[in-house]
Amino acid sequence: MSLRASRRKLPGSPRSSRRNASRVMRSALCAATLLALAVCVEVVAADMNKVVRHVFPAAEEGFDPAAAHDLYSGTVEQAIFETLLTYDYLARPSKLVPLAAQSLPEVSDGGRSYTFRVRPGIYFSPDAAFKGKKRELVAEDYAFSLKRLVDPKIRSPWAWLLEGKIIGLDELAAAAKKSGKFDYDARLPGLEVVDRYTLRIRLKQPDYDLSYVLAHEPTSAVAREVVETYADVGGRVMANPVGTGPYRLANWIRSSKIFLEANPEYRGFTWNFKAGSDPEDARIVAEMKGKMMPQVGRVEISIMEEDQSRLLAFQNGELDLMNLEGPLAPMVMNGASLSGEMRKKGVKLSRFVDPELSYHYWNMTDPVVGGLSKEKIALRRAMAMAYDVDEEIRIVRNGQAIEAQYPIPPGVVGNDPAYRSSVKHDATSANALLDRFGYKKGPDGWRTLPDGKPLVLRYASRPDSLGRQQDEMWKKALDSISIRMEVQKDKFTELLKLEKQCRLQMRTASWIADYPDGDNFMQLLYSKNIFQSNNACATIPEYDKLYEQSIRIPAGPERDRLYHEMARIIETYAPWRLGISRYRNMLIQPRVLGYKKHPILHSEWQYIDVDTTGKGG
Amino acid sequence: MPFDKPQHVISPSLWALAWKRLVASRVAMVSLGIVAAFLMLIALSASGLIAKDWARETGVNYAPPSFLGEDIEQAGQPAAPGGPISASDKPTELPIQDPLADAIADIRGEKKAPGSEAPSGESQTVDPLADVMADIRAKGTQATVAETRASTLPFGADKWGRDVLKKTIKGSETSIFVGLAAAFVATLLGTVFGAVAGYYGRWLDDFFNWFYSVFTAIPYLLLILAVAAVLQQKGTLTIILILGLTGWTGTFRLIRGEYLKHKGREYVQAADAIGASNGRRMFVHIFPNVSHVVLVQLSIYTVAFIKAEVILSFLGFGVPVDVVSWGSMLNEAQNELILGKWWQLAAAGTAMALLVTAFSLFTDELRDALDPKLK
Repeated sequence: MSLRASRRKLPGSPRSSRRNASRVMRSALCAATLLALAVCVEVVAADMNKVVRHVFPAAEEGFDPAAAHDLYSGTVEQAIFETLLTYDYLARPSKLVPLAAQSLPEVSDGGRSYTFRVRPGIYFSPDAAFKGKKRELVAEDYAFSLKRLVDPKIRSPWAWLLEGKIIGLDELAAAAKKSGKFDYDARLPGLEVVDRYTLRIRLKQPDYDLSYVLAHEPTSAVAREVVETYADVGGRVMANPVGTGPYRLANWIRSSKIFLEANPEYRGFTWNFKAGSDPEDARIVAEMKGKMMPQVGRVEISIMEEDQSRLLAFQNGELDLMNLEGPLAPMVMNGASLSGEMRKKGVKLSRFVDPELSYHYWNMTDPVVGGLSKEKIALRRAMAMAYDVDEEIRIVRNGQAIEAQYPIPPGVVGNDPAYRSSVKHDATSANALLDRFGYKKGPDGWRTLPDGKPLVLRYASRPDSLGRQQDEMWKKALDSISIRMEVQKDKFTELLKLEKQCRLQMRTASWIADYPDGDNFMQLLYSKNIFQSNNACATIPEYDKLYEQSIRIPAGPERDRLYHEMARIIETYAPWRLGISRYRNMLIQPRVLGYKKHPILHSEWQYIDVDTTGKGG
Repeated sequence: MPFDKPQHVISPSLWALAWKRLVASRVAMVSLGIVAAFLMLIALSASGLIAKDWARETGVNYAPPSFLGEDIEQAGQPAAPGGPISASDKPTELPIQDPLADAIADIRGEKKAPGSEAPSGESQTVDPLADVMADIRAKGTQATVAETRASTLPFGADKWGRDVLKKTIKGSETSIFVGLAAAFVATLLGTVFGAVAGYYGRWLDDFFNWFYSVFTAIPYLLLILAVAAVLQQKGTLTIILILGLTGWTGTFRLIRGEYLKHKGREYVQAADAIGASNGRRMFVHIFPNVSHVVLVQLSIYTVAFIKAEVILSFLGFGVPVDVVSWGSMLNEAQNELILGKWWQLAAAGTAMALLVTAFSLFTDELRDALDPKLK
């Protein structure tokens, strides 16, 4: 439930995103994660000679967790600041583990009350703002940081994470809007600082997603002294990040270079993650197990906007890690593996399916394709069957995607890899279905509506080459069932606007997990989300009923059973044709040890090591 | 005194002289030949005699040109999906209930297929088409036999396996037709506006000059894109209108100048004296004397608009999805080059370069031929 304010949609490039919630409350997991993050009392091991060179394809905004909105700022924030919770480095699907908290929260009052205990003995990195004193991280810092998200002066893009949830917080924000001053000293019933280390969050209604929110970097702890010392007129602290995390900002050349170095005050931890089913995991565990973390002393991030320049820099050994975006993949990859040249150099690949889904939707309120009458369902299902996902993957996506069988993609809680969709590419059946329901072919060879009126589909896409390829895919599909198609071209933002008003007829949309829970995908067809995220504008009573049941129960087999039925409803009523989930390909130089791209976490520098002996390359 | 009766000499017309000069130039003749060949090609293609089935997928995806030989990597992949459905591809079993099954069976006068009704378990999932689908499936959906596709084609195939040669011919048809039609529209507009402005002068002249200034104040490509974005509707006709409506300014200025020059000449005054109307003086008396300018403009525009169409289609504002043009082919080539499939780029690029060069050379020669002062 909830988390349904501003959802991010991706134009093309996969954007690892955010948000969070907790359904992982099994005590067995807690035990395992405590082990993994055992506090270490020895001196921090980071070696300043160990450097990781990373690249961003777009510039960062700045490093205020409450104010920066882009993925790249978020990546750096994750290395500098700490949230209460985080994700296990190797566990797939993503599993919540405590970070600054001692353990996963105690949830009581039927999902309305969350109690966190902040781990004692965590210190902020030294900064002039603390006037030479050692500054410990306390529960009050989290209460302060959460309040910042709704401060109207800061205009945080992440306000929706908390809006309408915490008792008293919205009222405080409304009062601040009126008075022009946000009262950070106000005691809220919903954000109770029980003692120095204990924070109790009380919610207006049960919410199983709050833990995911608290693993998301906008909710990281910032120190009030730092904000008061450095804040600009908007109350933002973009250039002076002071956190408790493994790294601190050493030098920053805006939109060009970001230098991080190990935080000397960081407590460190022993690398002790459990290998999953991925065969690569065993190697990673062998490389890393038992090491004091962080090992890497410095991180250098360059910003290179051109695809080609990034690849060339990587090939010249100027970069250690690089995300292989979009059209670059076929240049260094041969299907699922690296090309011979890269392999000879010892370059490794971290490849997994992004927690994203592309789907083709029909506007369910449209007079031509919408509605729940049988001939409309038949029309949509025929179109769904005419579309050849396999060809899209081979030709348009160059093999860098998998067919989506289930509305929840891999890596997200609720995904069922064994589930098989009943929708198959089968133009013969599609034609038979249309014949059965009276979509007769006219004298010109194109089908008409059962009442004899002309039938023309309007497919909306962007005016770029991918848009053209999608046009061609659908044109081929609809030609195979003799349905006439025309194309509506518009800019991406314009399409999103029209789609929110239910004014498009048909489009291919993408959705990436905001938080790794199936609810984030299943809510896309809930009728109360029309004009927000339900871009098919679908109202299917059976689906709504099941969805409302599903949000009342935590993740588990019971909810999966509901999700299975909902998936089948999507297939039978065909508001969507499921498309694909794309692969993410991360290139890794041989000298980097223990690297595995996490589907939700943005930065992995604190979990990896660099081989400085030179034998790796 | 001997008196010789003067012979009646027919002085050759401007056009006859120009033709003579044109024939004398080898460059002009060769380029005219190439242009004529292209025009023949598009006439044949427009009438459906050749390249009618350009959209048929005759080769494997990205089939290479014949002289390169078969692509080993590609050959391993299935040309079309549709193989036997493996057990793991069977849809996950879920209890499905169809309350409409009885009604459908009734209407069809059939007995319900056994098993079409699921046990009334706790499931609420309902498939309103369960019966119909079961029936269609039962009738057998033997996957249509995958047509055999050629592993190589003379000029290669595009990503869907369409013949690049046929695509290029069809693309030429679109591009050249758009170029010619848009050039005609633009020249017509420019000529009429220029004639009116130059002939009448005064406030009409001011009005058209103002209009002209507004159009030329906007960078040309931006103007095209703006009009394209406003028109929304995609189609060949739209492109012709976009190019025609934005491209008339050059001709306007030239023709206006010519009319300013000619309207004071004696032959126009003479026409005025015998009572010719304004319209007659403009288009019957003056126009033939400036028509060579118009012809040259027409051919310059044709070349420019062929290129403009390519740019528009390349940027995604061009031809609709079921039409192919050189621009859309070049657009596709962007992604293909990364994969090392160069043949579509080569075919479209060569065809365009050949025609545009020939047309430009011919235009140059035509201008020279029509302007005796140059020789």
